[in-house]
Amino acid sequence: MTSVLLFLLAILLAPFYSAVILKVKAFFGGKKGPPLLINYYTLIKLLKKGSVYSTSTTVIFKLGPMVSLCAVFTVLLFLPIAGQPPIFTFHGDVILLLYLLGLGRFFTIAAAMDTASPFEGMGAAREAYFPIICEATLFMILILFYVLTGELSLAAYFSAGQPAGFWHTAGAPLMFVVLALFIVLLTENSRVPVDDPATHLELTMIHEVMVLDHSGPDFAFIEMGSFLKLFFYSTMVTRLICPMTLGHPAANLALFLAIMGVVYVAVGVTESVMARYRMDKVPQFVLTSFALAFFATVISLEFLK
Amino acid sequence: MLAMNHFSLAVFIIIGSGVLPLLFLWRRFAVMKAVASFGISVGCLIGLIDAIAKIAHGATGNASASYLHAFTLSLRMDGLSAFFLIAIFIVSLLAAVYSYQYMDNARKTVRVAVHYLFFGLLVASMALVVTAANMITFMLCWEIMSLSSFFLVVYNYESEGNRKAGYLYFIFSQVGAMFILAAFGVIYSHTASFGFGGAAALPERAKILVFVLAFIGFGSKAGVFPFHVWLPHAHPAAPSHISALMSGVMIKCGLYGILRVYAFLDWHAPLSGYIVLVAGMVSGILGVVYALGQHDIKRLLAYHSVENIGIILIGIGLGMIGVSAGNPVMALLGFGGGLLHVLNHAIFKSLLFMGAGMVLHKTGTRTIDVLGGLIKKMRITGTTFLIGSLAICGLPPFNGFVSEFLIYIGGFRGAAMSQTDFALSLLAIVSLAVIGGLALACFTKVVGVVFQGEPRSPAAEEVDEKGISMTVPMVILAGACLVIGIFPGVFAGMALKAAESLQLGYGRVPLAPFMQLTGNITRVALLFFMVFFLILVLRAFLYRGKSVTASGTWGCGFTQPTLRMQYTGSSYAGSIIAFFGPLAPVEEDHPPIEGLFPAKTHYHSQVHDIAERHMGRVIVHPILAAFDKLRWLQHGDIHLYIGYILLAIVVLLFFV
Repeated sequence: MTSVLLFLLAILLAPFYSAVILKVKAFFGGKKGPPLLINYYTLIKLLKKGSVYSTSTTVIFKLGPMVSLCAVFTVLLFLPIAGQPPIFTFHGDVILLLYLLGLGRFFTIAAAMDTASPFEGMGAAREAYFPIICEATLFMILILFYVLTGELSLAAYFSAGQPAGFWHTAGAPLMFVVLALFIVLLTENSRVPVDDPATHLELTMIHEVMVLDHSGPDFAFIEMGSFLKLFFYSTMVTRLICPMTLGHPAANLALFLAIMGVVYVAVGVTESVMARYRMDKVPQFVLTSFALAFFATVISLEFLK
Repeated sequence: MLAMNHFSLAVFIIIGSGVLPLLFLWRRFAVMKAVASFGISVGCLIGLIDAIAKIAHGATGNASASYLHAFTLSLRMDGLSAFFLIAIFIVSLLAAVYSYQYMDNARKTVRVAVHYLFFGLLVASMALVVTAANMITFMLCWEIMSLSSFFLVVYNYESEGNRKAGYLYFIFSQVGAMFILAAFGVIYSHTASFGFGGAAALPERAKILVFVLAFIGFGSKAGVFPFHVWLPHAHPAAPSHISALMSGVMIKCGLYGILRVYAFLDWHAPLSGYIVLVAGMVSGILGVVYALGQHDIKRLLAYHSVENIGIILIGIGLGMIGVSAGNPVMALLGFGGGLLHVLNHAIFKSLLFMGAGMVLHKTGTRTIDVLGGLIKKMRITGTTFLIGSLAICGLPPFNGFVSEFLIYIGGFRGAAMSQTDFALSLLAIVSLAVIGGLALACFTKVVGVVFQGEPRSPAAEEVDEKGISMTVPMVILAGACLVIGIFPGVFAGMALKAAESLQLGYGRVPLAPFMQLTGNITRVALLFFMVFFLILVLRAFLYRGKSVTASGTWGCGFTQPTLRMQYTGSSYAGSIIAFFGPLAPVEEDHPPIEGLFPAKTHYHSQVHDIAERHMGRVIVHPILAAFDKLRWLQHGDIHLYIGYILLAIVVLLFFV
């Protein structure tokens, strides 16, 4: 029951947290910024509208937003939120979830290619490229977690007392994992310094240019999907940096939500103080995450035993 | 012969249906085609039912026939054979149906009849290869398989490129066969018998030699890097259903050989697993990188066969490491996952080749960058190709995921071990992840550029989709991708049974935990479809009574877009290939734009395969140079030639 409530809470809160990033960026720019509820207003506005479809598109274009949203929803059902056990879990679910996100990506790219737009093709090519390295990083982290726990499920890594256990056994190398996971978060969710969601030139975008032709409720699905995806990655980072529990479930939840805010502020600060990398430098940045995860895994599994 | 009468009946029907057209029916084109493709299909169906029954009941069959006491042909079917037979008969059955309308050039009646002869021989010889129980039978069927497929590759022999592809394939398959023969020779020299049974008693060093020789020989058929060079040439040259057959199942006979040799050598040193695993990782990653760089859709698919053989070898290699480390669960996961991927790859790769064949048939071109928007006019081909693409990328809820999932879990088991096993398992897992990502990039490119967007040339504009005998096999295969992806239990069970029949000395492992894994895949797939259904309902509700209009694609402020401005496959893959630098050297031909009135320019790029590039320098040239030195032996004097023969006989009589 608690798990279902937390799942619904995650869906409700994800747009709010994404607005925190906007607020932080506005603060650094010396602006007032949009209200914290801006994403809800946008979603409601989009849901009320109709849609314009390009004459080049087929049914795949409409499938894109649905499949990617569906993939993220399914993934969230397996995510332990605030240290509580998730709704579903089984041995090996992490692999399945990462591949489900891949399925969502396939359809997002296919929807972009459906429009025959050169810009969207360009974005699609980048969307296909960078996550390859992210997947390698994530699997490297999985190996570390698997060897430490003997389990292959998100529930075993992020619920109950577990992330705290990692710190006890692996110790300092886990800092590398946190950093690697943060880089993956930035890459997978198209944030600066990989992608700039706020830029004005389509040529330099990745995710935003791919969804240019979507409108109305379809676009709302895409927006919702990306809020939830960011929430998914942030939850993992949050649990890693703050694995302690306070004894009372409500206190745990409050602590979790506060630290989540910190992670989102960190994303906002990164966006404010950094510029987007040149496209050909991005792979090096993402590879850094792989190197960090690799060293963390090898050091803690081969030398600290 | 009684024990295997259904199987023998299937083989006789298949060969008979191949021979009949050439003997009697070649004057009547349609009748000939109908008889041949129907006959081969019926034969395959009988064989398929028999193989399924054998694997379900765990039965084995034996048959043998002696020829003039000179040698004995003997067949034996166990779980592993039956599993490969299922893949062979499914793909052959559908390829035969597909061929009925694909081979529609009535002016080439005799050639089509000859093609059916070799088609029948190829199917029958593959079935016999995976049931052969001694060296003579195996080599005989292996050579029939290689030769009949060679004649199918050079079906369009008018084109010089196709002839070259055929010769390249011929050389590779013969050199490969020599390696296998050498491996068998080493066994024979120790056991003095043509059976495989005594091989377990070989000394350790002989086992290493046999395994390495057999791995090279079988690897060259399977398309393991760097012995894969023939694949990307032969597959585009052959007619599409033949490509489907060769890529879907014939190259798997090489894997069967590796597994069989490993099983009868009973050699459980870790080295075998290391060799196979490293070869698998290299083939997997480089195969998909080269696939990304291709402009020819069938060549691209051929490189994906290299990639998938790599994935299967990763599974088998992990299984071997599991055996040597005394970890039966990991062994069963590795072998079971690898074997299931054999079946899965047979299904989705033949589907993709059939789709590519339909595209080639209707547009007359295999060049990805001149196509576009085909899904609008070729709905069935486009949709089934999309399903095949999702399956080959290993995405749930399609079949490719299931086998990769089992291999992953096996890999994680290995990562919990120490030192070399740990390091290699870790690399295997990361390679699988990278291969998955690259395959996704590659197939979004193919689907996106060939089937989506707008047509890039007139050839892609005027297309239709006719030919029910071509579409039905694709629909069946796409359905199979989905069924295995959602309900993998039965199929994984078959693969695990096949893996058990290798008898690798760890006794019986309870299968219940594995069934639990596949059961969970089913549950998540159903959960996914439930969520999807809810979103679908929500979407329908949200769009109720809304205005939905059509307009052109947003050109980002550019008002004069043309269809040729669409992103091409080459540019899509460009940056990923650049990442792999020296492993995938790109050659570009692009005269620069200069001056106030620049001349017309063009752009052409080619990604080189390093194995192909260095093959000439490292292997071909030294061998040619060595043989050049022996030219004086071949002087054209017939008397001296007879002298050679005499000398050879004398030497043989006295010294051997």
